[in-house]
Amino acid sequence: MWNFLKKSKGFLGINERNIKYISPFNSKRAINIADSKILTKKILKKAGLPIAETYYILHNRKELKNFSWRNLPKSFVLKPNRGLGGEGIIVLYGKRKNQECWIKADKTPLTVNDLNNHILAILDGDFSIINIPDAAIFEERIKIHPIFKPYSHKGIPDIRIIVFNNIPVMAQLRLPTPESGGTANLHRGGIGVGIDMANGITTHAVHRDRLINTIPGSKLSFRGIKIPNWRELLQLAVEVQKATGLGFVGVDIAIDREKGPLILETNARPGLSIQIANIAPLGERLKRVIGLKTKNTPHAVRISRELFGGEIEEEIEEISGKKVIGIREKIKIFGPNEKQYETIAKIDTGAYRTSLCYSVAEKLNLNKIIKKKSVRSALGNEERDIVNLKFSLDNLLIDTEAFLARRENMKHDIIIGRKDIKKYLVDAAKNVRLK
Amino acid sequence: MHWQPPSVAPILTMIYFINYLLNNGVPQETIILILMLPIIATIIAFSRQIIGIKTFGIYTPLIITFVFLAIDIRYGIIVFITVLLAGSLVRIILKRFRFLYLPRMAILVIIVALIILLMFGEAAYSQRTEFIGTSIFPILIMIILVEKFISAQIEKGARTAILLTIETLIIAIICYIVVRLEFLRSFVLAKPGWVIAGSIVANILLGKWTGLRLFEFIRFKDVIKYVELPEKK
Repeated sequence: MWNFLKKSKGFLGINERNIKYISPFNSKRAINIADSKILTKKILKKAGLPIAETYYILHNRKELKNFSWRNLPKSFVLKPNRGLGGEGIIVLYGKRKNQECWIKADKTPLTVNDLNNHILAILDGDFSIINIPDAAIFEERIKIHPIFKPYSHKGIPDIRIIVFNNIPVMAQLRLPTPESGGTANLHRGGIGVGIDMANGITTHAVHRDRLINTIPGSKLSFRGIKIPNWRELLQLAVEVQKATGLGFVGVDIAIDREKGPLILETNARPGLSIQIANIAPLGERLKRVIGLKTKNTPHAVRISRELFGGEIEEEIEEISGKKVIGIREKIKIFGPNEKQYETIAKIDTGAYRTSLCYSVAEKLNLNKIIKKKSVRSALGNEERDIVNLKFSLDNLLIDTEAFLARRENMKHDIIIGRKDIKKYLVDAAKNVRLK
Repeated sequence: MHWQPPSVAPILTMIYFINYLLNNGVPQETIILILMLPIIATIIAFSRQIIGIKTFGIYTPLIITFVFLAIDIRYGIIVFITVLLAGSLVRIILKRFRFLYLPRMAILVIIVALIILLMFGEAAYSQRTEFIGTSIFPILIMIILVEKFISAQIEKGARTAILLTIETLIIAIICYIVVRLEFLRSFVLAKPGWVIAGSIVANILLGKWTGLRLFEFIRFKDVIKYVELPEKK
């Protein structure tokens, strides 16, 4: 219990966030700007930072009345200026031919009349913070980057980076789910995935404040997604902080397929579940950068990556030119006639040759024995069959000769020996419990 | 005769003022309720900052507590829940017509008024005299709540609104129980200065509290277990 309390100390709670970080570092004026998408975009644009293009802004009913719908492009996003938590945002993917009718993500059509009603609701302040009258924004629709496609449901994932004292301290990838209705907001059911600050690779995932491993209802793991343009994203986040004057800010950035990173919005009161997705205490990280002086943006990003990068594997890989694998790895075995078999192999540096189970060999028609060899084992001399074997390990194809053995009662169908892992380094602590 | 020097801290002289009010016909119940306000407010602040129970601000749970005191708590809860259910139902029905915000709220209030009228009808039919005698103000307060609840539904989603409502209700019930405590009632009359000074001090401390809330401990508990303590050198 005492240990638990001690460990909890580094975690940032709402009380501490408000008293120690928001009220001293975020001025009223800066918060006001962050709460308005129009003002934020204006400031970011002036600073030369990339943002989604604004098509039109409607401030009042008169402007709505005189609005010519014909000018609207085929696809766009309609947003309230002061919307909270992704409420009131509509994404239109396409337009019916020769008709003033647009199509939503779930294929429901929206006519001019529907849009008109929605804009009236926005202008009336239905979605704004305290029901004050608001403006409606027509914006360019961001196109999803192919790397995120399998993980995201009808919407654009974004990357939230928390920046404090000009140094990025924590980041997470936010993915829309069927439940969250196309927005990536965590409290509406989006999934947050922690990101290693050093290399931009995802670590753990959180859904409704619970840690999860795979996409609900599938086997797709959230671990190991490499965020493209990682260093650029960190630099952008720092630049956004400098431009907006928010001392403690959550910067949301989306990655467009063609345009690259685009800043979506800034958040003066960033949420705290980012700590769950990263399994890391935010309070402790903030304390480490308080008062640190940085020379310029690249310097700040370098500090962030050094301070908050968890895994140094990539560096080792860069130095040695070899990939690091664990003691258990997912592999794919290729048979002759295009048959494939996926399994988990045990990496065994004590064996020279790879051994494959007869049962798998039969399944893949790998029964063409090219030679036999006698081996001396604990059980005495034994004659073993050798076949040609092709498999892929960590995206590299390995073409080798392997023993066949009776392994039906063993935990692994295949063990991989020294002969075939010369291109790798083995980390005995990695993937011990891989399933 | 008991004589106390007037130079004693002003918190002690409060008692003379209270006596003066009582002697001049201010009802004792009114004074007790006013002196309970700081205590209720402190309970609400405590449950937000230390426990993490979120309510509709401080005013709403406070006023519901008073409603419960004014009409019997059983009827209070029944009216509260009925009114909110009716409000949500009407909102869901009205949603598809895409009305503007204020007219939509107006329709809601009209229907809620109608339902309360029906509830009075039921009370008259089954001769629930305590309920029939209820004054209009607690009922009006219930209507304010419907607006708060529905606008929370629109802004923050049904899930959050329901949670907020349940938590508000729980806090109101706790405050109701506290206000009814006999020893506390005599305490606030006997030591009014202490009640006020104590509440202010408690809230100053709460206002500077930066620790994790109880609910946050629960929220982060799995993650806290994974974190390793930095080694001491």
